[in-house]
Amino acid sequence: MSQINAYRRKFMAAVGGVAVGGLASGVILRSVEASDVPAKPADQPVSNKVRWGMLIDINRLTDGGVAMVEACKREHGWGNDPKSRPEQQSQWMRTVKVTDKLTQHSFTLPVMCQHCEEPPCVDVCPTGASMKRADGIVQVNKHICIGCRYCMMACPYKARSFVHESLTDQRPHSPRGMGTVESCNLCVHRIDKGQLPACVEAAPNAVIFGDLNDPNSRISQAVKTLGGSQIRADLGLNTGVRYLGL
Amino acid sequence: MSSKTIVYSELRSSKAYYILLGICAVLVGLGALSFFHLEHQGHHVTGMNNQIVWGLPHVFAIFLIVAASGALNISSIGTVFSKTIYQPLGRLSALLAISLLIGGLAILVLDLGHADRLLVTLTHRNTKSIFAWNIWLYSGFLALGALYLWTMMDRKVNRFYKYAGFAAFNWRLILTMGTGSIFGFLVAREFYTGAVMAPLFISMSFSLGLSVYILVLLASAALGSREVGDLIVNRLRYLLAIFIGAVLFFELARHLANLYVTEKQGVEAFILKDSRYAALFWVGQIFFGSLLPLFLIFCKKFVNQRWAVRLAAMLVILGGFVQLYINLIGGQAYPLTLFPNAEVSSSFFDGEITQYSASIWEWLLGLGGFALSVLILLIGLQVLRFLPESLADEVIEPLSQA
Amino acid sequence: MPLLSNIKSLLVLALFAIALVGCDAGVPEPNLAPAKAKAAQCVEPTADMRKNHMKYLLVHRDKTVIEGIRTTQHSLNECINCHVAPTREDGSAVHYTDEKKDHFCSSCHSYVGVKLDCFQCHADRPQVMENINYQHKLSSNTYHLSAKNAPPELSDLLLLGQSQQAQGVTQ
Repeated sequence: MSQINAYRRKFMAAVGGVAVGGLASGVILRSVEASDVPAKPADQPVSNKVRWGMLIDINRLTDGGVAMVEACKREHGWGNDPKSRPEQQSQWMRTVKVTDKLTQHSFTLPVMCQHCEEPPCVDVCPTGASMKRADGIVQVNKHICIGCRYCMMACPYKARSFVHESLTDQRPHSPRGMGTVESCNLCVHRIDKGQLPACVEAAPNAVIFGDLNDPNSRISQAVKTLGGSQIRADLGLNTGVRYLGL
Repeated sequence: MSSKTIVYSELRSSKAYYILLGICAVLVGLGALSFFHLEHQGHHVTGMNNQIVWGLPHVFAIFLIVAASGALNISSIGTVFSKTIYQPLGRLSALLAISLLIGGLAILVLDLGHADRLLVTLTHRNTKSIFAWNIWLYSGFLALGALYLWTMMDRKVNRFYKYAGFAAFNWRLILTMGTGSIFGFLVAREFYTGAVMAPLFISMSFSLGLSVYILVLLASAALGSREVGDLIVNRLRYLLAIFIGAVLFFELARHLANLYVTEKQGVEAFILKDSRYAALFWVGQIFFGSLLPLFLIFCKKFVNQRWAVRLAAMLVILGGFVQLYINLIGGQAYPLTLFPNAEVSSSFFDGEITQYSASIWEWLLGLGGFALSVLILLIGLQVLRFLPESLADEVIEPLSQA
Repeated sequence: MPLLSNIKSLLVLALFAIALVGCDAGVPEPNLAPAKAKAAQCVEPTADMRKNHMKYLLVHRDKTVIEGIRTTQHSLNECINCHVAPTREDGSAVHYTDEKKDHFCSSCHSYVGVKLDCFQCHADRPQVMENINYQHKLSSNTYHLSAKNAPPELSDLLLLGQSQQAQGVTQ
């Protein structure tokens, strides 16, 4: 499904290249006047008027997203749980190499929590620890996570990891601990301060981050003109993370 | 209720009884040890990982839970379907159901990453979660099972026997559907998705519950030197054959439906043809777990042969365990499809088939839960009157007319 | 016999007293120095904090995780930043689980025997390992400054146009 969309989009982009190009730079020019993540007063709750989203242009990610993954590791302190075997290590984000079996067309993209509008992990969680914030960020409320791993069974993107051992000296802004499930949370602690997620900062030329509900945001303008495919769009989850060039 | 003719009594203690009790206590102790080890170390000591998130303990747990709901069937047949010949078996059936469920739940709970936060499931509930429903279904099952037992064992409340039986029977059907739906509603896992998981699990509960029941009945009779006649054993025997057939039917329906859908052909080929799960499926589940027991049940030479019934029940249990193992572990070992018709690879094992081998801790936890079930059963049999003094043909005969 | 029962209860009392004496020998001295060190600068009065700190933390944690409210007054991170020195004088790390029980929280919690699992996930000392100024040149603050004042960067302008060229080539 997503491949058909991708094909159609590329086709249209090729046909109407000049016109769209003109519009595109207009999009950019307008966007730099306002920041992508407006700072929110610390004592105000997040609002459902906002829906955070990310558009990743994989053709412009020259490293396939390695820098983004590294930034995520540093920001959240995962990637080296000393006692866990490789299959047990947490991976909030990874680069996936995809090769079409017939055409041999190949590309690499970063995959993490796709921040679905209808997240299966939230549906299945018995305690509500797996949750979606008002602003569309899907995360684990580790305070009430009992470690049943049902969300890991339910996630179609394999976005979640289970912490298999006790940890110390976590990042103060990113708690993670034994017996709970964890995943990309779009760097909530940064967004709440009006900063971009760490991975977005690590790939500023290939990723646009912003509010999908705001028609004037840079990301809304970009997805409107260029589209933005979802991984497993057939599941109808309406993801917040979108890709160009799938 | 046929309490006029049937006399129930406690299981008298014997040397063999205490040896069995001791073995179970040791196994429960080892299971507890395993739990404390996991609680302290974390799950890195197990064979489970971020691909196979549910491992051997869950196979044990789901086996016990499914068998629990099936074990209650024997008394339901007596109550709900008014087959009076089954009524003397009712008390043991309800006790067995309760003890199996407690053992299974113990494993599930003790395998949690945060077993200490179990109370959170009561204070925070997500009504959309099948797990959350199951917490209520399990508690309700225990309560209804106990209530049902009470109506069977206390003359004063005997008039509520039918109602309790109906309630328990319906509840257990919903419970097993709930257990099946834990898997059936997972859109991400190709091997599980589908409504057929609910009836498949129900049919499994029938055959597994009955097999466990047959073994327990014959063993407790041997322990207490009680007579069990061929009449009742043959009834259970042919019932088992029907249940084995039902499991095969739903399994067939499921695989045929999957094979017709292109996107599921990969995982079907994986399970049925290309992996070690294929051998488990054809040899373990189908041959030893289904066909051989059917042969043992129907072969004319083995009529009235107790060993054949025992062996058939054991094989069905083995086959059911293997079936759950294939479903749980095999279903997770097959990679998720991120991009159809494409090869994917990553540092997170995308597109790779995951290997799983259980550690000693998972075995101990699973066996510990199983032993806990047997322990509860043994203690129950000794303190209250669950077992009929005799199930000899002359005792059962009048009941079978009804 | 009232006399006999009196004697009995006296005996029991005596035994109980002996048992208590035995216990007394085993009670450790609480190390309250870390807890008292910064009491005066705390976000709430000391008496209130002694009684209610866990309530403040519980309310705040849900507000933070669920609603994204990140005020500092009742934030666990701020407790740690103020009350826990990352290292001892000899340079060794201070952890909640240390035998010495000189971590701010454990000094009291181990004494009263109240288990807490905050630090299974949360850092139990301020971060010292690195200055997280590792980010890309568009680190968040400068990015937002530049977004308001500075002219758009060339890479920004090319963002969409170039991707189309790339796509055109693949056709």
